[in-house]
Amino acid sequence: MTEQHDPPVHGSLAELREHTRRLANDLAGALRRVSVRSGDTTIEVEWQEHPEPADGHPAPVVASAAPATVPTDDRIMVCSPMVGTVYRASAPDAAAFVDVGDTVEIGQTVVIVEAMKLFNPITAESEGVVAEVLVENGQSVEFGQPLLALAATDGAGE
Amino acid sequence: MTVFRKVLIANRGEIAVRIARTCRELGVRSVGVYSTADRDPRVQRHFDEAVHIGPPASLRSYQNIPAVIEAALLTGADAIHPGYGFLSEDPDFAEICADNGLTFIGPKPRQIAVLGDKSSARRLMRDAGLPLLPGSVEPIANTAAATTTAAAVGYPVIIKAVAGGGGKGMAVVRTPDELIPAYTRARDTARSVFGDDRVYLERYLDRARHVEVQVLCDGHGNGIHLGTRDCSVQRRHQKLIEEGPAPALSTTTIDTMSDAAVRAALAVGYTGVGTFEFLVDEDENHYFMEINTRIQVEHPVTEAITDVDLVREQLFVAAGHTLGLTQQDIQPRGVAIECRVNGEDPDRDFVPTAGTLDRFDPPGGPFTRVDTHAFTGYALGPHYDSLLAKVIVWAPDREQALNRMHRALAEFDVAGLGVATTIPFLQRVLADPEFRKAAHCTALVPRMQATKEAGG
Repeated sequence: MTEQHDPPVHGSLAELREHTRRLANDLAGALRRVSVRSGDTTIEVEWQEHPEPADGHPAPVVASAAPATVPTDDRIMVCSPMVGTVYRASAPDAAAFVDVGDTVEIGQTVVIVEAMKLFNPITAESEGVVAEVLVENGQSVEFGQPLLALAATDGAGE
Repeated sequence: MTVFRKVLIANRGEIAVRIARTCRELGVRSVGVYSTADRDPRVQRHFDEAVHIGPPASLRSYQNIPAVIEAALLTGADAIHPGYGFLSEDPDFAEICADNGLTFIGPKPRQIAVLGDKSSARRLMRDAGLPLLPGSVEPIANTAAATTTAAAVGYPVIIKAVAGGGGKGMAVVRTPDELIPAYTRARDTARSVFGDDRVYLERYLDRARHVEVQVLCDGHGNGIHLGTRDCSVQRRHQKLIEEGPAPALSTTTIDTMSDAAVRAALAVGYTGVGTFEFLVDEDENHYFMEINTRIQVEHPVTEAITDVDLVREQLFVAAGHTLGLTQQDIQPRGVAIECRVNGEDPDRDFVPTAGTLDRFDPPGGPFTRVDTHAFTGYALGPHYDSLLAKVIVWAPDREQALNRMHRALAEFDVAGLGVATTIPFLQRVLADPEFRKAAHCTALVPRMQATKEAGG
């Protein structure tokens, strides 16, 4: 069961940038917020239809999305970026991608999360030693759910 | 009669809570979904289960189709209720639900698609016999066509995006020399915002009332209407106060509109709840505007005057049951009013506010309903629309209903650093002589805002 699908790419980054610029020019009011994403090609724009009063309301603080890797104490959590089903190996009879005690490098696949029949490799964003595996093969996971705990190696710390 | 075993509610806020309540009353298990911004467990206590589906940005959570479908499959839900907004009028989502063996609680994907496109909806409804405002049924192809059509229709005219909604992509044109720039700008905006630059043009009514008819159809060719609602109190096409039945309209007009709406719904094989929106002029001429193919924010108004739980009916119809109600069962009585309490500052042009609610004490008392997801300590964030609560009152007549709403809003205590609400503005509308006489139209809120600014 090893299928890997790259996310579809709709146009280059340059095109996206150009479209965003055009969008910003076309709109009648001042821009409030622009967010551009390249993966699934998302552009979100908020603009004012009327100018704000001089004592302008401060822009709301937008919390950033939960990162896939969350450091807790001295352990680094690798979290699921999506709702889906976890697979610890590339095939039912294959060895697990990683196990407790393994050293992982940045970019190394640690599990697969299947969502809507797409198999998404989840990669480590920090290097470290696998301290604990927090999910079982075939388990359902939510967005942001911790999958693995890594203990930082000497090279990984700040 | 069985409905579903488990329903996933693909929404948030007050409507998710409202749907979960009916599920619980029917013995149907509910699954809530939430983004990181809504992860407070007090938000999820209304659901039997809840799944964290994504980060705060709605495109990656509440509008993220794979995340919602996966959450439904992983929890073993057999149906999805989309609520309003988000994925509720997305025909692709309805189709993907079906492909995954999940019942989408709403009309068929094809109906959502043709009725959501304003151009095809206008053509279908004209063919079904609904009166349209003078204007173009087909999109306006070029400036020459715009000029000819506007001259034939008569000024003022309004240009609207075919794919538009929520008041975006509309322009009122009062004189011929404004037409071409407005037409070009409307197409540019429509292309930028909706990715579809088709626009159409129709007569603009300065003193119109916004009146809508609630319909309910099953999948077996039966349909009824559940009376009318007036939603003329709007700010930039966002409704603030709704009431039912529509006041100061003759029974003949109400019956004509209601019957026409049911006939048109049955003509297109509609299933589920739907709302037919009309503009009504001072002579009670009524013109079809659009159809909303989902439950509406203001549905409790209809529930209060008809004693029908519309979400319960949605579930039964979606599960394939025949309508248990006939038109004779619907005898609207009394008057119901709904006020939308938004976390917006009416003194600063309704800018959304954010902060933690140090006090949140909703009203109670006779014939007073509050639909809300908020509580003391709730963090009103910047990510979603600012609806905090809906207050709905019922009374035997309009005068008593207005007084009851005034009393209820006066009881409503919401406070928090940086948080403002629409309550003071709603109270001003309730006290407005024109509104009290039911002589108001969609120009009411702009007029009140202008008065306030002129007065200091």
